[in-house]
Amino acid sequence: MNRNQRIHREIWMLLLAIVMGGLFMALMTFYYGKIMENAGVSSNELNHVYKYQYEMIVDSRNSTFWEAVYENARQEALAHDAVLELKGSESGENYSKADYMDMSIAAQVDGIILEYNGEEGLQEKIDEAANKGIPVVTIVNDAPISLRQSFVGINDYQLGQTYGEQVADLVDDHTKRILVLLNREQELGQNQLYGQIYSAVENKESSDQKIKIQSQNIMYQSQFDTEEAIRSIFQSPEGPPEILVCLDEVTTECAYQAMIDFNLVGEVKIIGYYTSRTIMDAVKKGLIPVTLAMDVEQIGIYSIEALTEYMEVGRANSYYTVDMDVITRDNWKQQEKQDEKQ
Amino acid sequence: MKNSKRRFRWRDMPLAVKVLFQVGMVAIILFSANILMYWQMNKTMQSLDMVYASNVDLTELAESLEAVQTDMYNYLTVKTSDSLENYYRSEAKYRILLERLNEQVMENPVKLLEKNIRKMSETYLDYTAETVLAKRGRNVEKYKGSYTDTLEMYRYLNSYISELNVQQFKNNSASYQALQSAIRYMEVASNVMLVLMMGVCIMMLFYMVKGVVAPLSGLAATANLVGQANFNVKMPPTDANDEVGVVTRAFNTMVSSLEEYMKLTKENMEKEQAMMERELLMENHLKEAQLKYLQSQINPHFLFNSLNAGAQLAMMEDAEKTSIFVERMADFFRYNVKKGSEDATLLEEVEAVENYIYILNVRFAGDIHFTTQVEEEVLDCKVPSMIIQPIVENAVNHGIRNIDWEGTIHLDIRSKGNQIRISVKDNGKGIEKERIRQILSGEIRSEEDQGDSTGIGMNNVISRLELYYNRKNLLTIESQGENQGTEVVIAIPVE
Repeated sequence: MNRNQRIHREIWMLLLAIVMGGLFMALMTFYYGKIMENAGVSSNELNHVYKYQYEMIVDSRNSTFWEAVYENARQEALAHDAVLELKGSESGENYSKADYMDMSIAAQVDGIILEYNGEEGLQEKIDEAANKGIPVVTIVNDAPISLRQSFVGINDYQLGQTYGEQVADLVDDHTKRILVLLNREQELGQNQLYGQIYSAVENKESSDQKIKIQSQNIMYQSQFDTEEAIRSIFQSPEGPPEILVCLDEVTTECAYQAMIDFNLVGEVKIIGYYTSRTIMDAVKKGLIPVTLAMDVEQIGIYSIEALTEYMEVGRANSYYTVDMDVITRDNWKQQEKQDEKQ
Repeated sequence: MKNSKRRFRWRDMPLAVKVLFQVGMVAIILFSANILMYWQMNKTMQSLDMVYASNVDLTELAESLEAVQTDMYNYLTVKTSDSLENYYRSEAKYRILLERLNEQVMENPVKLLEKNIRKMSETYLDYTAETVLAKRGRNVEKYKGSYTDTLEMYRYLNSYISELNVQQFKNNSASYQALQSAIRYMEVASNVMLVLMMGVCIMMLFYMVKGVVAPLSGLAATANLVGQANFNVKMPPTDANDEVGVVTRAFNTMVSSLEEYMKLTKENMEKEQAMMERELLMENHLKEAQLKYLQSQINPHFLFNSLNAGAQLAMMEDAEKTSIFVERMADFFRYNVKKGSEDATLLEEVEAVENYIYILNVRFAGDIHFTTQVEEEVLDCKVPSMIIQPIVENAVNHGIRNIDWEGTIHLDIRSKGNQIRISVKDNGKGIEKERIRQILSGEIRSEEDQGDSTGIGMNNVISRLELYYNRKNLLTIESQGENQGTEVVIAIPVE
């Protein structure tokens, strides 16, 4: 009996050793598998096949504004069985938007989302794509006379109204000069914006005051144009304007930095655009009195919605309007929260 | 496990096989652990190799693309059939290479880039085909325009390929780093595992070997105890057929045999001891008896010779009775002296008694009526000497002396079962029961100072009988009471 028990113990010992060994090997294999997965060697996660491929072509794809727009649009695209790529000038590349359009057309993508900037030949490219059956959705800036399928953004009238209000609010007795920094080719829409700011200021100015409203196109051809252009404004013999209206993120940040560098805080009032970290910090400190921002979430979602609708139905709304937020020191906290949610 | 004899049982295997099996087991476990580790290591190495394979592929693709472009340019420049052939060849090759690229829409940026390159390449090849066709058709304007398009597309393609290359290189670097960390981890893990397995195996081996050796240790401890003369310990019974089992069983048998032998030897020694003691006692008694004779006989030989001379003298004088008397007396004393230390036959004993009675009757003028009844078959039987005569003497001295009636003594010897019964019966005074007890237990000795005695007392006879036959109660005394006579019976066992 005793002896039997002993033999059983031996068998148990053996089994235990084998089980332990097996367990350890399994654990090791499992852990190893995880490491390999992290290495991406055996990953299948990103290899899901989607139906459509869209491209988003913007000015500077590294700006936080476009990143936020892209991220929202990308999520929306994935939800609609599509993959969205972001194209745009990046350090080291010098393709124009027309080049990117060419590439997208050659790559036979299913749809293009384009930030139109009035660049030469770009409108023809939109038409070429449309003729090849690739729908083009313009965002933020419209190309109304092209064959684009749809526009997602705010119309120039509304934009002008909003800007006009903000400029008028900032006009006081010391205001002598207002400079609007345009970021696209001179054309109707921009003129409208300029015109509305002009009329708003005119209503506000007192009888003996003569406010000079100027506009300057700083649409950059090469990379550091914006920075240089703004510095030269601050260094000009007549001095910087009292109110500086910026229409994009990069311009706003450059103007803000120049204002600090030239020690003109309080003397130059900047109307900013978008809610990047730098701009929001400035608003929080009161250095930038107001900044305007289009709802990036809406831009992203609507642009994909337009493409999806075109794919499924064959046509889409020609105009999607998005909200414009006005962020001042009083309501920046709310906006912050909203951004965090996104 | 118990019932089936033919069944393969662990405990029946030789020790060598057991140890070999256990060590083999451990070796197999360690070996498989090693194999597993090598397998994983190998897998890792293969992945490591694969990491840069994709970049190599891309380089090939870029070279092929360049070949297409160059060959097309050459054809546009010189328009020989050779260059056209070259162009078609490189185009075909490029198409084959394109087949390897992904053409599905995926989130994975590398895959997506591959798809873009593939589609763009198709567009590019369409353009080149168009260009070549236009050149063949001598449509100068068209092929020049088309060539510009292909050139642009070629530029884009190259930038895409280089982007893909960069992207892949990034991925691969990450993979490579992860793989490297995997290898480092494997090194640690395999060491830990080896140490762990080794520990487990050593423990296992220890327990298993202990299991094999445990009965041996038990055996050694038990043997030690047995060596210290403790025969009560035994190994638990086993039916194992390995060496240990065999030794254990042999050991148990040995221990029980040893125990038996020891018991037997002890008994024998005890017996021998008792025997020696008895012999010593017997010798003592004989010596005592002989001493008494020597004391009473000044010089027996001289006496016998003198008596013989007297007997002859009596014959010569024709005094026949005197001659017989003297002769008998001589016989009696000679017997007494001669047989003092040896066994005698019953016949000799009876003769001695008869001589004694004759002497007494001569002395006391035939007062004693002595009768004998002896079975002839028993006469040759050996008995200790001088056992009957002292009893008869006792009967004469204490039984029938000084009685008023005629005293008779009857000697009866017969075989009874496996005994010889010697009875000496008188019709004398008898003995009280208390006195019988005292005599038999040796509490009183026959009076020493009795001048008219041959000297051998009752208790001497009793002692000698006991010693000789190694039994008690061979002699019994019976008396019905005063004046009722006495019967002394000796029961001699016949071997």
